[in-house]
Amino acid sequence: MTSRVDGPLKVTGRAKYGADNTFPGMAYGYVVVSTIAHGEIEAMDVAAAESAPGVLGVYSPFFPLDLRPVTTPLFGETWVPLQDKEVVYYGQPIGLVLAETYEQARDAAMTVAVSYHRRPARTSLEAGLPSAEEAPPGRDGSPSTLSVLAPGVESIEDALAASPVVVEATYRTPTQNHAAMEPHSAVAVWDDDGLTMYSGNQGTNLQVMELAGALDTDVSSVHSVNPFVGGAFGGKGRTSVAAFLAAAAAKTLDRAVKVVLSREQVFTATATRAATVQKIALGAAQDGSLIAVRHDSWCSTAMDRSFVEPTSYATSREWYATQNLAISQKMVPLNIPLTTFMRAPGEAPGSFALESAMDELAVALNMDPIELRLRNDSTAPPGKDLMWSSKHLDECFRIGAARFGWANRSPQGHTDGDWLVGVGTATAMFPAIRFPASVEVTLHADDTAAVATSGADPGTGLLTVLSLVAGESLDIAPDRVTPRLGDSALPPGGLSGGSTATASAGSAIMIAAAQVINDLVALASSPGAPFEGKEVSYADGRVLAQGQEMTFGELLRAMNLPSIAATGSSAPGEELTKHSFSSFGAQFCEVRVHKWTREVRVSRMLGVFDAGRIINDQTARSQLIGGMIWGVSAALHEGLEFEDNGRLANGDFASYLLPVNADIPDVDVHFVQYPDTLHNDVGAKGIGEIGMVGMTAAVANAIYNATGIRVRHTPITIEDLLD
Amino acid sequence: MRPFDLTAPATVETALASPGTFLAGGTTLVDLMKLNVLTPQHVLDINDLPLRGIDTSDGLRIGALERMSDIARHPGVYPVVSRALLLSASQQLRNMASIGGNLLQRTRCGYFRDVAMPCNKRGPGSGCPAVSGANRMHAVLGTSEACVATHASDVAVALVALDAEIRLVGAEGSRTVPLAEFYRLPGEHPEVENDLRPGELITEIVVPRLDWAHRSTYVKVRDRQSYEFALCSAAVALDIQDARVVDARVAVGGVATRPWRLPQVERALRGVAATEANFEAAAALAADGATPLPGNSFKVSLLKRTVVRALIEGSRS
Repeated sequence: MTSRVDGPLKVTGRAKYGADNTFPGMAYGYVVVSTIAHGEIEAMDVAAAESAPGVLGVYSPFFPLDLRPVTTPLFGETWVPLQDKEVVYYGQPIGLVLAETYEQARDAAMTVAVSYHRRPARTSLEAGLPSAEEAPPGRDGSPSTLSVLAPGVESIEDALAASPVVVEATYRTPTQNHAAMEPHSAVAVWDDDGLTMYSGNQGTNLQVMELAGALDTDVSSVHSVNPFVGGAFGGKGRTSVAAFLAAAAAKTLDRAVKVVLSREQVFTATATRAATVQKIALGAAQDGSLIAVRHDSWCSTAMDRSFVEPTSYATSREWYATQNLAISQKMVPLNIPLTTFMRAPGEAPGSFALESAMDELAVALNMDPIELRLRNDSTAPPGKDLMWSSKHLDECFRIGAARFGWANRSPQGHTDGDWLVGVGTATAMFPAIRFPASVEVTLHADDTAAVATSGADPGTGLLTVLSLVAGESLDIAPDRVTPRLGDSALPPGGLSGGSTATASAGSAIMIAAAQVINDLVALASSPGAPFEGKEVSYADGRVLAQGQEMTFGELLRAMNLPSIAATGSSAPGEELTKHSFSSFGAQFCEVRVHKWTREVRVSRMLGVFDAGRIINDQTARSQLIGGMIWGVSAALHEGLEFEDNGRLANGDFASYLLPVNADIPDVDVHFVQYPDTLHNDVGAKGIGEIGMVGMTAAVANAIYNATGIRVRHTPITIEDLLD
Repeated sequence: MRPFDLTAPATVETALASPGTFLAGGTTLVDLMKLNVLTPQHVLDINDLPLRGIDTSDGLRIGALERMSDIARHPGVYPVVSRALLLSASQQLRNMASIGGNLLQRTRCGYFRDVAMPCNKRGPGSGCPAVSGANRMHAVLGTSEACVATHASDVAVALVALDAEIRLVGAEGSRTVPLAEFYRLPGEHPEVENDLRPGELITEIVVPRLDWAHRSTYVKVRDRQSYEFALCSAAVALDIQDARVVDARVAVGGVATRPWRLPQVERALRGVAATEANFEAAAALAADGATPLPGNSFKVSLLKRTVVRALIEGSRS
């Protein structure tokens, strides 16, 4: 098995992240943030800061850096700082202090005194529910409300009324921060060719587009370098405030500038996952067949209304066979930090609600929760003609049940000394998507190869996957292939988002590799070449003809060429008119709840996934384990708390809890490998996000099994389980 | 963090003669300096002072500069002390933090740590946002309108249960103070957390000999299994003979503004059979006088449950 190719660099500290770059004469910026949630900045007293040691400049809405709002196809409008005096959330960037050292900048920033004209702030999702707005149509044009009714059924309410068994409940999930290990940071350098930006992101081309727009310059004069990213999860899709400010400040000062957000600033000055409220009603026949599914969703959104967490669309819309379906999505604009994509946006909080509700239905039916799910296994999304291209959810549950010992489950859990023990399960799904991608494959005269595209590997394993797919496509060992990512000068592809990178870049690699082999073969038999006029073939890294053979390196050397390269491009197409595509999985979890003090400890976890072909077992397993752990984190630990004034009560790592090693048992991951070549030629579907989906509900369902207490919000903490 | 001078006195005498803030492990001081909560101009690194040694020959004597991790793994240290230390903070912090510094960590909450917010400890009279704000982690015992922050030390709870004393040295000489009396209630002056006099230094922690305290334990209930403060904790030592409780020590943490001894629970335990029912009856008294806030009313129930669990586990130890 191939190990993660970037592993040795990372564990020895040689991987160079954005903020690791340092240049002669570099200045340091420290961001100033607001301490109100809504109002107008009346004045900023920067006199002390300007005269502090080492300070080079203090920028604010009164003395702004030159930036303009920017709109891109993927993200819509992206906000840029310092352009107006409006404050719309607590912790909003409102200033930048530049100094000779980081400490001088930070020290001076502390002296900036801000006065505000305050306005009332709306910070509570619950309080805002009565005035919720319809969500805008989804990216695919789907409306904010949708229903699929069986012939003759007038309304979802009628369908529910006609259902022998109905469960109905409201579920709540909190705002979350991506909490990536690498804080948002940027190093900006200008020269005659324009700007070079070193700043962790999920796709250099996206960053180039946003920076070029904000700086009112051409994309050809912005170069984004991003070889390593310390975690992103959707939080580094948009260009960060640090990058906008560093870019504009470096231009103004005519010096390299580094801006790094403090951890506390990352909690407010980047973006978050929206909080949700979800009302679900499930109606079923006595045999468990779903007659009606109603899923109404509300989410918080920032005042710019730029992101909706689509919980009902991402789950109930597609997950189960049901005769009748009605979903809706509303949003509540609040004076809170920006909302954006976070790992499994929609699916993660949506599956907590839907899969909790399915567990409640199983209890109401006195039915095994796995049996209930398999009873409603679908061959296509409800109301759609396009069948799933490849679906083995039933096998995931069957294998999972056997591996986990599900047969030993008691509907009332069991006790082990002072501990109450329970098990839970949930379905996981995440759509299989791919994006257009271009990849360059190069054969070198030293018999090595290179594969390059502009996207990012924020810890996912994409570098390793590139080398494996390229090695396979070139019929050479993968350790002879050097993968490159994270440079906007490379062909555009491999964006890290939507669990798409392997399918997208992998398909392009196959095309590029086939092309470069064709070109090599043509070269070999061209006039004056070693195989002139012969019928040449290629295998095992060699060109062959009539008993004669040369490695591609030997051929290139013989022809005095350093290398030969080809670029391949792929994009989704016709397949979208033929099938529906998704990854599937079955999540299992065992918890122990202390009889007296009610702590929950997760004691066993298993995920069985149907995600198409797995290119590299090690990195895929790590992806799934990470997602499953995040599911536990959402279930038991994570949640941002807004105070009435919009301040985060727990905006740091001391109080925004993530699980530590002691909280997580060994995690078992198993793949059923069915390459989905109807989706793409590589046969891989997404694995980046599905690991998180369903696990939070599996934990909550296990807690119910152990204690008989149904908790319909996250995180589930001790007080939820006390008398 | 503001610029400061750093010096490292080599003797206790020089340290006492120098104005400034003492730095031992630095795990609290440096953290609060980074946040601009503390802005000392002069910092005195006291790590060269000869305040070391762990002696278990007659009770327990610990030099104030001994690291938490070294004390925790020293043979012969009472289990309740060792467990309280091992359940504190993280391994990295335990490797750095001194026992003297641990006892002097600030009684604090998130508002104390945020200089953009009022806090009666940082700015006497400025107000307490916790009373009406996020107060799930806060105290239910020993609170005042001025402050509801908890004292976060685990080992202090164990030491108070064992009647520990601390030796202090200052310009006016040395003195010995029972640890339980050293800590003050917040009252109207939460900025004063203990009886430490200006320039005074803890030199040693002394736990009187208590042979039966080798049957003791520390239970810490929290939102994750490591590197997190207690929602509630309990230190328990039990003298059980012929299945009856002859004597008991019980103190709790995570629920009070200082390490909180429970004499009424100890009294209720003395002389009764060591049964779960009797432990539950005694623990029912644990929250007497509690004044819960909207966010932490669950701590009243959790406190009793934690004491029961600690008594059960202590009796098995």
